[in-house]
Amino acid sequence: MTREEIFTKVVDIVRPYVKNPEALEAVDEETNILQDLKVNSARLVDIILNFEDEFDIEVEDEDADAVNTVGDAVGLIQEKIS
Amino acid sequence: MTKLPLRTRAALTLQREVGRLSAVVWITSIVFAMRYLMRYRVKDAVELRRRFRAMMRENDQPVLICANHLTMADSAVVAWALGGSWWYLFNYSRMPWNLPEYTNYASLWPSRFGAWITKCIPIRRGGNRKDVSGVIQRVQHLLARGETALIFPEAGRSRTGRVEFDSIAHGVGRIMNSVRDCQALCVYMRGDRQTTWSTVPARGDSFYVDFELFRPESEHSGLRRSKDLAEQIVARLSVMEQQYFASR
Repeated sequence: MTREEIFTKVVDIVRPYVKNPEALEAVDEETNILQDLKVNSARLVDIILNFEDEFDIEVEDEDADAVNTVGDAVGLIQEKIS
Repeated sequence: MTKLPLRTRAALTLQREVGRLSAVVWITSIVFAMRYLMRYRVKDAVELRRRFRAMMRENDQPVLICANHLTMADSAVVAWALGGSWWYLFNYSRMPWNLPEYTNYASLWPSRFGAWITKCIPIRRGGNRKDVSGVIQRVQHLLARGETALIFPEAGRSRTGRVEFDSIAHGVGRIMNSVRDCQALCVYMRGDRQTTWSTVPARGDSFYVDFELFRPESEHSGLRRSKDLAEQIVARLSVMEQQYFASR
C-alpha cells in the first residue's frame, strides 16, 4: 500500500471526529489532529483503534504517543504494515 | 513500563520530600479551609476513614484512586474525606499525587509552587502527546514505588453532572495496563447541593463519599486493552452513582 493510499484512508477515518471541517479541506501530512482539526483528545484513541481495524495492525500505548499529525499517523501505519 | 531518566526521578523525589517536610503546614491549612472557612462536612467520616485506612494497611499493591469529577476542589475533598488530615502526616505516601490541568493551576508561579508542594504534576489535556505521556510515565513510576495517585477518568468535570462516558481519559487505562498489580480505587463523591458541575462545592455542603477497590481485567492487548480498562473503571463509577441516587 502506498503512502498516498494510507493518507487517504487515514483522512477518511479521522473525518467523523473532526470539529473543524475547514481545516480538513486543506489537510496535509503536517496537519495536527488535535490542534488543527480540533479532534477531542479522548477521541484520538478511538481513531487509532480504527487504524488497527482498518489496517490489521496492533498499536501499543507508546506508539500512540508519536501520533500528533496526520503524517505521524501515516508513518506509524506504514511502519506497522511493512 | 518506561524507566524515567535519573533527573526526572530525582526531581520527583525532591518534590515529594519538600512536600513531606512542609506537609504539616499545607495539609492542615487546606483542611482548615475546607472545614472552617467553607464549612464542608463528610458524611459518616469516621467510618469512611476507618475503612479506607484499614484497606490501605492491608494492601501493599499499587493503588490508583479514580474519582468522579464535578468541581475543581474534588481532589482535595476526596483526599480529606478518605484519610482525614493527621493520618497523612504519618502515611505521606498515601497522600495522592494529582494531575491538575496546567492552565488551571500552574500558569502563575505562586500557584505553580503551590501545586508542586502539594504533590501535583500539571498536565495539558489535549496537549502534545509526548508531554502527556511524560506525565503518565511519572505517575506509573510513583505508583510502582508505593505512592498513591488520584486521577479523574472522565478527564474534565462532567458537564452533565453525571458520570460521563463521552470523554474517558485513556491515560487511566494506560496506567492500569502498565503498572504491575495496580488496583483501581473507585471513589464516588457528591455534595448534597451539587446538582451539576461547578468551580467549587457550595459553602456548607455535606459530602456523600463511597469507594470500591477492584482490578479491571481485559482480554485485549495494547491500546485496546488500556481503553477497555478505562471504560470498566468509568462503568464502575457509573454504577456507584446509580446506587447513590437510588439510596436518596
